[in-house]
Amino acid sequence: MTRKALITGITGQDGSYLTEFLLAKGYEVHGLIRRASTFNTGRLDSIYSDPHSGQDRLTLHYGDLSDASVLARLMGAIQPDEVYNLAAQSHVRVSFDSPEYTTDITATGAVRLLEAIRETGIKTRFYQASSSEMFGQAQEVPQTERTPFHPRSPYGCAKVFAYWITVNYRESYGLHACNGILFNHESPRRGEEFVTRKITRAVAHILAGLQTKLNLGNLEAKRDWGYAREYVEAMWLMLQQEKPEDYVIATGETHSIREFLDTAFGHVGLDWTKHVEIDERYYRPAEVDLLVGDATKAKRQLGWEPKVKFTELVKLMVDSDLQLLKDCREGRTRVTS
Amino acid sequence: MAPRAAITGITGQDGSYLTELLLEKGYDVHGLLRRTCDLSRSWISHLYRDPKLQERRLFVHYADLDDATTLRRTLLRIRPTELYHLAGQSHVGLSFEIPEATCQLTAMGTLRLLEILRDLPEPTRFFHASSSEIFGRPEVMPQNEMTPIAPVNPYGCAKAFATQIVRVYRESYRVYASNGILFNHESPRRGAGFVTRKICRAAAAIRLGLERELRLGDLSAQRDWGDARDYVRGMWHSLQHSAAEDFVFATGQTHSVQDVVEIAFAAMDLDWKACVKRDERLVRPAEPNRLIGDSAKARDLLGWKPQTDFRSLIVAMTESEHRSLAAPQPFQPQPLPWRIV
Repeated sequence: MTRKALITGITGQDGSYLTEFLLAKGYEVHGLIRRASTFNTGRLDSIYSDPHSGQDRLTLHYGDLSDASVLARLMGAIQPDEVYNLAAQSHVRVSFDSPEYTTDITATGAVRLLEAIRETGIKTRFYQASSSEMFGQAQEVPQTERTPFHPRSPYGCAKVFAYWITVNYRESYGLHACNGILFNHESPRRGEEFVTRKITRAVAHILAGLQTKLNLGNLEAKRDWGYAREYVEAMWLMLQQEKPEDYVIATGETHSIREFLDTAFGHVGLDWTKHVEIDERYYRPAEVDLLVGDATKAKRQLGWEPKVKFTELVKLMVDSDLQLLKDCREGRTRVTS
Repeated sequence: MAPRAAITGITGQDGSYLTELLLEKGYDVHGLLRRTCDLSRSWISHLYRDPKLQERRLFVHYADLDDATTLRRTLLRIRPTELYHLAGQSHVGLSFEIPEATCQLTAMGTLRLLEILRDLPEPTRFFHASSSEIFGRPEVMPQNEMTPIAPVNPYGCAKAFATQIVRVYRESYRVYASNGILFNHESPRRGAGFVTRKICRAAAAIRLGLERELRLGDLSAQRDWGDARDYVRGMWHSLQHSAAEDFVFATGQTHSVQDVVEIAFAAMDLDWKACVKRDERLVRPAEPNRLIGDSAKARDLLGWKPQTDFRSLIVAMTESEHRSLAAPQPFQPQPLPWRIV
């Protein structure tokens, strides 16, 4: 029988990669999308434009993590074998500006989804997208599944809540529920307001003479950046294990924004120091320390390890943005509202 | 001008003792009430009835924790010098039944207050009543301010969020916001759904022939139980400290549910073994244990220490139940003044 998956956050970077991955595995995929006045399914275009993607097995449903009734109704109607909770207000800086909304979706939203599962009584497996931002002021380096959390943003606090409530439903109700503690993961589909994509997009625009300046915040912030396409496979692998557990997913390498700039601008022969200006408005009120993950457990128990590392990732993102701009200027991209 | 304190959760056990303490210290006290709150059945009705206090030194305002606009309007009007945030869905067992509401009130409610705190024109010192439940099943004993947070029930998850968001606001916005990590604290005003009060009440009721038996879950469950009156003093001390910090308030001693039973039934000259029945339905899922607090920091920096010992506390609670069951007070309805501002 065809296996069914329900994905919240299907329109995002991870949701779109996970959808492609699950369709290729023969799943029937259901996604929750928010009603918005702007087009928000652009990342699923590659699926709809490819007749061999399994698009006939993909169904989108209007809903929202703030709407508990929809979640319960969909859970009962779809009866998914696997639920992936990827939806969140996922931008850390924005979480300082809009903390209540961030918490409602990211923290309470996870409870609503778990309650919908408990209420309908279906035997499903649950994946919670946890985040390295939970470590915040990191208590040890590198961070493992045993490292205590010390979040430094409303987003981090909300993700910590969702993490513990997931553990709690696993322990209290025997739900097959896993936390994937994913360190930063990027791709050509990363939201344009995230620093990595902001840089690679600027590189393409500066090279084409469409932009001269790039405003950034703290260049010394260091992150462990991996490739999102590879990280979604780890999510799936967690739910295939007999025993539900929590896993760190990371590359184990850490690089600063400054190094990202070196690599991205250097890839096309540009000097970033001529273009980058520091704007304190992009600083976070509280910055997190050195985030670098130890994914030994995932390697040992899931057989997962990252293949695309930092330099290759930066280059593939720059190349993609160069191509995207070229297609756009030559009128070869589809017009989205 | 008298210092002004605002209290969420003013009608509960801690809120009422804190109100008494602050009135004694010369504060004007403002309580934030839920719409459904019945003041006349609350623990501050004796204070609010007093014409010298009612709307002269003790004020009440309707403001639900899930109504950000009203909270903001009310706090901007009160302009408190100190804000004590004690409200929350505070029952661990119930949090398994209503996890989403627990999260809405306990986690989001705290965040809403912090958002308002950032915007108040004059600095307000903020106290958050956190809980030992944030530690879950801790690996280290006893627990202090540095112990990792790892909750094991929805209430604990919500309190963990609230505690961490208080720290984030303190570090990000330099607001004065403190967490008091309170271990269990009891009194004659403890909510009737809590195990200590339930036991003390049952012992008194059985003594008076009103009931025959008491059903309980896990008798071996251990807690660090203190006297609520000691803990509200700790809250006040926290906000008098020069800098906002987190403090553990605890006795540092644990006792079992069975200890409570033995003391309460002995105080009523009863044989507990003849009256207490184990009820599997009352055993909590994911029961935390190992909770024992180290309040050395509060003792060193605030000069705080608990003054009531466990046995006297349980005896006092049981005697109080016996008095109120033997001579029930007639209920006096007390309409709230309806103000339109």
